Amino acid sequence: MDTKLISEVTDWMKTTDLAEFCYEKDGDAIEIKTQEALPEPAEFTCSLTAVTSPAVGIYHMADKGKNLTLTEGQEINEGDPLGLVESVSKKYPIVSPLSGKLRKVTAQEGAVVEFGLPLFFIEK
Amino acid sequence: MPANVNITPFHKVLIANRGEIALRVIRTLKEMNIKSVAIYSEADRSSLHVRMADEAICIGAAPSSMSYLNMDAIVTAAKVTGADAVHPGYGFLSENADFANAVTQAGMTFIGPTAQAIEMLGVKSTAREIAIKAGVPITPGSDGVVGKNYRAIAKKIGFPLMIKATLGGGGKGMRACFREEDLDRMMKTAQGEARANFGDDRVYFEKLILNPRHIEVQVAADNYGNVVAFAERDCSMQRRHQKLVEESPSPFVDAKTRQKLQEAAAQVIKAAHYRGVGTVEFLMAPTKEFYFMEVNTRLQVEHPVTEAVCGQDLVKMQIQIAQGEPLQLTQAEAGKVRCHAIEHRINAEDASHNFMPCPGTLTEWIPAGGLGVRVDSHMYNGYTIPSYYDSLIAKLIVTAPSREKLLKRSERCLQEFIIEGVKTTLPFHQKILANEDFRNGKTDTGLIERMMKADESKK
Repeated sequence: MDTKLISEVTDWMKTTDLAEFCYEKDGDAIEIKTQEALPEPAEFTCSLTAVTSPAVGIYHMADKGKNLTLTEGQEINEGDPLGLVESVSKKYPIVSPLSGKLRKVTAQEGAVVEFGLPLFFIEK
Repeated sequence: MPANVNITPFHKVLIANRGEIALRVIRTLKEMNIKSVAIYSEADRSSLHVRMADEAICIGAAPSSMSYLNMDAIVTAAKVTGADAVHPGYGFLSENADFANAVTQAGMTFIGPTAQAIEMLGVKSTAREIAIKAGVPITPGSDGVVGKNYRAIAKKIGFPLMIKATLGGGGKGMRACFREEDLDRMMKTAQGEARANFGDDRVYFEKLILNPRHIEVQVAADNYGNVVAFAERDCSMQRRHQKLVEESPSPFVDAKTRQKLQEAAAQVIKAAHYRGVGTVEFLMAPTKEFYFMEVNTRLQVEHPVTEAVCGQDLVKMQIQIAQGEPLQLTQAEAGKVRCHAIEHRINAEDASHNFMPCPGTLTEWIPAGGLGVRVDSHMYNGYTIPSYYDSLIAKLIVTAPSREKLLKRSERCLQEFIIEGVKTTLPFHQKILANEDFRNGKTDTGLIERMMKADESKK
């Protein structure tokens, strides 16, 4: 292998924007990839904000005797009640941290929830 | 078997802990066909106990106060998962009477002593009273504030003695008095310091035991008044009251003293109407006289040392007692010394920088193995040690037929153990094993500090 050739090619490549350079002698094959051809890192943005359970316990839409209906698609204001999580000795109220559209309700009346479990997704 | 035996088998147990002790309990539960529930904080999502348990539930944010010390969250987690008992492990809420109460009030069993026993033995003065009642020696002292007759009291206790401020703490208002002729002067200094620091110049006396050993006796007691005491553990190798190495049997304790220790421990346990496993701690003078210090009302970190020596599963025993089963072994079986055992606590700490904790990611984890080796650990390759909790990452427990063979095997294990990515106390354990006093069994609670001072002067 001609090491001189390799170092010459490498030096030359540094002056270009080439990312890959393949070369075959007798089969006459040349394969070149430019920087632009490399896959771009995927960009991901999410406009949904998750409202998570503040505690481990049982989720209730509302206190006993009170009614609260939450429908996907409805408008929500910052501070609006989103139910509560009941532990053995406490009640943890859940309020919306932002105003927007209630896009997804994963919370279920009477279900066991753990700390940090997403209950609602709100779109700003 | 007593006529009134009442056994309630557990189906599911929640472990109110994390780390290696959570794994330790899960392992025994599996062998007993009992389902396990792990609790975890947000920082412990990728922890091994979460993977190993049958169920796992996130109970709070990373800081202990919001998760592993959060009684409401833990009791709720136990209720919603349908557990019938809670194992507290060690540390966190294991010696918290309120927690034991909360578990019981919620209709579940607390795997440990009653809340009343935890409370009684947790207060130093009541624990001392129980020991006195049981006829077990306590460190002689003035038993209360000394007044104008302090000279007579001091003479009765004997020198050297400690003068301690009633409201004291952190060494303030504390003076060691070695000779009778120094007493008046030391008394004035201690009282002056106490007045200046705590606004109260009341002091009491306690006999000062020079170069003491920390000797403790593992006990187990059932609901029917049966108590067994195991061979002692020598935990003299400690730094600032943190144990680093525990050994059983103690190289300093002979068969006759061993029997006396076991009898004393059993008497304290009986007097306290204690149930469950526990540890009675003693301070032992160079004369082999020993004095009751306190009772630890939980499973201890160093319990595997005793498990090796007696050949019993102490966690299983603890669960069986909580289920209401009578003890299955006699004192003769419990007290038998089947081998020598030692535990090295491997912490993620930098011993050369005052044992500063070193949390981080493990890039290499190759534990020691082979005959007579047990490693209790929650580590694995690539695991990130969170900075929120204590720095214990592994317990290396080594057993051998004699102490000489034990030290050789321990040396081999410490060389074999590879942990990369974080600083650990492995090198410090090698230093301990190389220490001549340690090798000769001449340990006391000040040896590690002396070792560190000697290191310092070499620099």
